[in-house]
Amino acid sequence: MVDVSNHTLVPDHTLLDDGELEEVLEEYNIEKTDLPKIKRTDPALPKEADTGDVVKITRDSRTTDQAVVYRLVVE
Amino acid sequence: MSQQAPQEIGQLSFGLMDPEEYREMSATKIITADTYDDDGFPIDMGLMDPRLGVIDPGLECKTCGKHSGSCNGHFGHIELAAPVIHVGFAKLIRRLLRGTCRECARLCLTEDEKREFSENLDRTRALGQDLNDVTKAAIRQARKKDRCPHCGEPQYDIQHEKPTTYYEVQQVLSSEYSDRIAAAMEPDEDSERVTPTELAEETDIDPGRIQEILSGDFRPREEDRKAIESALDVDLTEEDMNKLMPSDIRDWFEAIPDEDIEVLGINSDRSRPEWMILTVLPVPPVTARPSITLDNGQRSEDDLTHKLVDIIRINQRFMENREAGAPQLIIEDLWELLQYHVTTFMDNEISGTPPARHRSGRPLKTLSQRLKGKEGRFRGSLSGKRVNFSARTVISPDPTLSLNEVGVPDRVAKEMTQTMNVNERNLEEARRYVSNGPESHPGANYVRREDGRRLKVTEKNCEELAEKVEPGWEVSRHLIDGDIVIFNRQPSLHRMSIMAHEVVVMPYKTFRLNTVVCPPYNADFDGDEMNMHALQNEEARAEARVLMRVQEQMLSPRFGENILGAIQDHVTATYLLTNQNPHFNETQALDLLRATRIDELPEPDGVEDGEEYWTGRTVFSELLPDSLDLEFTSSAGDTVVIEDGELIEGTIDEDAVGAFGGEVVDTIAKQYSRTRGRIFINEVSSVAVRTIMHFGFSISIDDESIPPEAQAQVDEAIEEANERVEELIETYERGELESLPGRTIDETLEMKIMQTLGQARDSAGDIAEDHFDDDNPAVVMAESGARGSMLNLTQMAGCVGQQAVRGERINRGYENRTLSHFEENDLSADAHGFVEHSYREGLNPKEFFFHAMGGREGLVDTAVRTSKSGYLQRRLINALSELETQYDGTVRDTSDTIVQFEFGEDGTSPVEVSSSEEEDAVDVDQIADRVLESEFQDEREKEQFLGETREPTNLSEHADDWWLAQSDD
Repeated sequence: MVDVSNHTLVPDHTLLDDGELEEVLEEYNIEKTDLPKIKRTDPALPKEADTGDVVKITRDSRTTDQAVVYRLVVE
Repeated sequence: MSQQAPQEIGQLSFGLMDPEEYREMSATKIITADTYDDDGFPIDMGLMDPRLGVIDPGLECKTCGKHSGSCNGHFGHIELAAPVIHVGFAKLIRRLLRGTCRECARLCLTEDEKREFSENLDRTRALGQDLNDVTKAAIRQARKKDRCPHCGEPQYDIQHEKPTTYYEVQQVLSSEYSDRIAAAMEPDEDSERVTPTELAEETDIDPGRIQEILSGDFRPREEDRKAIESALDVDLTEEDMNKLMPSDIRDWFEAIPDEDIEVLGINSDRSRPEWMILTVLPVPPVTARPSITLDNGQRSEDDLTHKLVDIIRINQRFMENREAGAPQLIIEDLWELLQYHVTTFMDNEISGTPPARHRSGRPLKTLSQRLKGKEGRFRGSLSGKRVNFSARTVISPDPTLSLNEVGVPDRVAKEMTQTMNVNERNLEEARRYVSNGPESHPGANYVRREDGRRLKVTEKNCEELAEKVEPGWEVSRHLIDGDIVIFNRQPSLHRMSIMAHEVVVMPYKTFRLNTVVCPPYNADFDGDEMNMHALQNEEARAEARVLMRVQEQMLSPRFGENILGAIQDHVTATYLLTNQNPHFNETQALDLLRATRIDELPEPDGVEDGEEYWTGRTVFSELLPDSLDLEFTSSAGDTVVIEDGELIEGTIDEDAVGAFGGEVVDTIAKQYSRTRGRIFINEVSSVAVRTIMHFGFSISIDDESIPPEAQAQVDEAIEEANERVEELIETYERGELESLPGRTIDETLEMKIMQTLGQARDSAGDIAEDHFDDDNPAVVMAESGARGSMLNLTQMAGCVGQQAVRGERINRGYENRTLSHFEENDLSADAHGFVEHSYREGLNPKEFFFHAMGGREGLVDTAVRTSKSGYLQRRLINALSELETQYDGTVRDTSDTIVQFEFGEDGTSPVEVSSSEEEDAVDVDQIADRVLESEFQDEREKEQFLGETREPTNLSEHADDWWLAQSDD
């Protein structure tokens, strides 16, 4: 099987630990469920990602060097 | 209507209604189908009972005592003789029937499964996803059970016959069981004959009983039946459809426990499933179904009233028949009829049910039809309304207006008003408006006294009223020059379809626009109409002025470049002015600039024949801001250089001043201001109009004609192409044509022919083009980008070329040929729609027909595209309508779910950043420089701030020596 996360077009997906998650939720003043979602079966996710985790996706951007997005892993 | 303080809606709850609640809120029970008696008075407990509200003015409502207009009406109710199904819930009823036990009515799920689905439901709710997916899965799981996990009762399949009939399907022993067994015992290809004794042995049934079964005297029990079925491999059952009456379903649903329906996502506090079966029908108030009195004094009732009459009649007949002990068959027929009427009362467009019709044959418009669709309550009355203070008329051009302005007909200005709050300072002005009266232009139509009373200003009372006007009054004065209004043209596809303009009151009947605002509105003057809205409070007027004025919308958020700019003749004119850089004498130069701010010419560019002259580029340069520096390539192909606001060289055309990204306009709007941009566009268009009048510009058929020798060349080129096509066909017919990779030989031939003919047209175009002068008007327009292209020119002067339908040569028509004028299977160019003449020469009949075919496809495509894209746009708007950029930069929907963490990833507006591909979108260095520049008066202070120079320390005198040693002075 091809590991898509090595592909240049697939941005970095990293899991957030509890402390970081707390910070993100604090920053935007939201609940975890208010985040955009990503399916657990998404091939770009790291293997250890489980339902309920939050991933941080760092994309390259033409206008801002890096664009950071958080997504909640759902079934 | 009296002024009421706006109320805030605290909460809305959706659910089913308890029949008891219908009875409680009902003003009266309705028992008679009649509406009015012979004297024209409403009958008590009839459909027009006065307790249901009032529609006739002057009468008093018997329930609330209010008059028509202020009484909203009151519901009544009909007690249904037998329960009926509510069509709107037919699907949910089916689901519940399938998911619950027929005996104990509990959900056919084990406790563990229930818990799992409950948790799943909570999770889905928190994530804001569709609950239906979970509840559907729960029902699917429950349906799989053959027996109820609670009481062990076997479960049967429920069949739903649309719209409102439900059957329970049971497998029972077929009536012809004996014949089936006998047939199965007969020998066939792969089995021997089975004797009754063998059968008895295999199934463990007494041989005597087998004989009885075979003779049809004894019906086998279920176990025996299954044994025989497996032994002989036959099916002895048949389906038995048992109809579930609404009353049965109601009893069934009543027994479903509360905690079981929670698993299906139904809130048991608000909704009990048995309420989906109606026992009481609410009767809408008369205000919701007003009757109309016709001219001849006859009353015409609303469709809903007609439907209610039907329901009550059938209801009554049902009751009478039941009391008289009518046979079950008749009762069932009446029950079905009642169901039909109640169903169509709610929705008259159900598939499989004939719609209830009016006497004239028109289908009745019942409850669902009032809500649905474009003209329905939601899209027609709530999302879209007809408004006051608006006007609509034909538009026409007026190049003397500024692009910010709109010419408003005086008769419109006299009708549309602005409210003036009278105070000491505008008292005189207000009195003058009132004294002018409603008929003469800057007048007034209404005044409102301090006590809130509104008086109409008339020709008679205006003088008198004017003297009475005092501070504190409000005067509704006519629109005057300089007022701000909103202007709109449908379809409103982008935000530039609605812009604010300043009023210029004018005679005649049309709205007048500067032609420069045509592109954003996509307007032309072939009969287009536009709408105008007068703003009614200061906040709206201020907002419109600051945000919506045309000049503020100069840059399009779609591509970040200007959408306003020179169009059509303006582009031609600037091209004529700058391309050959013509000379003008003083009178001419001043004439070109007469409609601009410039009233003094610069130093002349030189002297010719003893007369001073100015070049076109110098004239154009007068319009540019003094400090503008720019360099780019024009669409004519030369390099345009602007230094210090002087056009040094190059042609000013579409790419420089055009709408949709004209370099100069874009740069001025971004680097200077929108106001400077507006002035520039206005002046360019005025100079352009004078310029084109100076040179004169026209086009005729003669401008596309080419000399005979050129025509001969074109003909030759086409003849050559025809010969090449013939050669190709011959090669093909000899079977010697080599196919291109991935194509069949036929496709290859088609491609090669198309290619050859394409080249022929191009070379014809090139020949024609060579014979056109540079000042040929068609060439000027194509070169400058004002209108038309070189291809258009080729088709006019050279050869129209191949006509295509679906990207191929024309192949349709008769069998194996396009027209009856050709032989079958003729592959030649002219038999498949090659038009070898030019538009100027004229097309022959065959060519004309092929041309029409190609043209028709184009028309159909446009029609299909607009309707498709319109629907797509509607769906996109609905999907995005509630998204909002918050103050923290995130984009969220109304439930605070984040859609983007930073608006557009970078939080920038497309019109404020650079739109060019090479540059960075945001040049931080340049911004920093600009901020520093404006912050510090002199260079020294700035350097100090930046730490580029070190200042003497003031901490101690002992440090002075050290400091002096560090610096040079």
